[in-house]
Amino acid sequence: MVIWSHVGLAALWGGLLALERRAFLQAMISRPLVAATGMGLLLNDPQSGLAVGMVLELFHLGSANLGAALPENDTVAATGAAAAACGLAGGTGLSTPAMWSLAIVFFVGLGQAGRFLDRELERYASRLAAKALVSAEQGDLARAVRQNLWGMWPVFVVFAAVTALCAIVGFLLSPVVSALPLRVARGLAWAYPAMASVAAAIAARGSHARNAALYAGMAAAAVVAVVAVYVASGGHL
Amino acid sequence: MSSTALEAAPLKQHRSEARLSQATLLRVFLRSLLLQASWNPQGMQNLGLAYALFPALKELYPDPDELMAAVRRHLTFFNTHPYVAAAILGGVLHHEQKISRGEENPDRVLAFKAALMGPLAALGDGFFWLSLKPAVGAFCAALVPFLHAWAAVLFLILYNAVHFTFRWRMYRIGLAMGDRLVEAVGKANLPRRGIRLRAIAAASAGALAAWLAIVFGQNEEAAWAPLLAGGCLVVGAASYWLVAKRTSQYLVLYLAAALAVAAGAFL
Repeated sequence: MVIWSHVGLAALWGGLLALERRAFLQAMISRPLVAATGMGLLLNDPQSGLAVGMVLELFHLGSANLGAALPENDTVAATGAAAAACGLAGGTGLSTPAMWSLAIVFFVGLGQAGRFLDRELERYASRLAAKALVSAEQGDLARAVRQNLWGMWPVFVVFAAVTALCAIVGFLLSPVVSALPLRVARGLAWAYPAMASVAAAIAARGSHARNAALYAGMAAAAVVAVVAVYVASGGHL
Repeated sequence: MSSTALEAAPLKQHRSEARLSQATLLRVFLRSLLLQASWNPQGMQNLGLAYALFPALKELYPDPDELMAAVRRHLTFFNTHPYVAAAILGGVLHHEQKISRGEENPDRVLAFKAALMGPLAALGDGFFWLSLKPAVGAFCAALVPFLHAWAAVLFLILYNAVHFTFRWRMYRIGLAMGDRLVEAVGKANLPRRGIRLRAIAAASAGALAAWLAIVFGQNEEAAWAPLLAGGCLVVGAASYWLVAKRTSQYLVLYLAAALAVAAGAFL
């Protein structure tokens, strides 16, 4: 059953963060780790939000908005996947790694779809810029500079709608997930750490460090060594 | 003496003391947070720049024709890093105050913007987008197993402590120093700091990969724990190699997921 108040909250959060990502502030509230965790908190399932957000943060760590180049929209990927994961968990009453895996597998591609939408929305902004120049020519300067604000509303509406749709899909998929054979559910549960490992490797690569493999390898070896010593001395993780 | 000349005299005197009020300066800074609200491929941040500067220009140019000329010179192409833009904005106000007092030609402010937006964009991209963001992101993601949702809060605090301090300081420096703000930006030594931050990002990602492999392995049945933990580490190392060879990161992610689903379902 779809919880419409959750769909509304997901839409609001998704739309606001789409604005924060590029149009206003850019204080990184729209980064996947924060965006997805926030979505989880809003939809009463911080665990799902955090699990999805951590993987997508790492997966998109190296992407950057350089000059006129548009990177993938990691924000809509995070808000969409987190809303879907929360919908799945809300529908089944459980938040499990299998659900996080499904949400990531189905919705990680939203980053590319989001980039396409961003490009389309730029056309609208171009029209506003042309209108601003005409207003300035006509001497209506206040109207000319105000055009800047009109560029925001379609961004909010489009990405709010996309995020709401993801939340609805999450709710609708929950009966299907509940009916999955135990073996498949176990496989999906194993997929989560595998994807987290891949995302961490992609993050190390995306760090742009000159000796990224060396730093990442040394840190991984250090963690394994510390844990091994700890367990050998009788400790429990 | 004509009556027009008599009326112009007090205006000239007023404008020779033209200085922007603190309230206007704060308003311009706050409006600069909307610099990219209508980013467009033709003028890029031109609308945002004109929008941010408008309250200051209105204060500096009471004459409608001069105001129109001032707004139009800032509706031309403009693009730089949104944080570093604060420095340029401060510098633009520095020049506009001089222009309004008749101490400078309007061409100076255009030359100032054109000269600085490219180099400062490169500096901002290199430090904020390619160093600070990955470093804080990877570091806080690595702390998720320990801090849980607080890792996201820590991310915002760490990142924005640098971000907003830099943005506000650069705005003030640009305002006070004009063209000489380049020296101040140079002293910040951003490229060297960026190199260190990138190393932190790589190390954090590696540490997290190892930690997650161990923890998830431990969560499974004892018989499968070493397989899952070792498998995750191998998958991570193989993924790094594949991505370095320019394999699509989506393909790598889906391959790993498919392998893990098959292993979990059939082993």
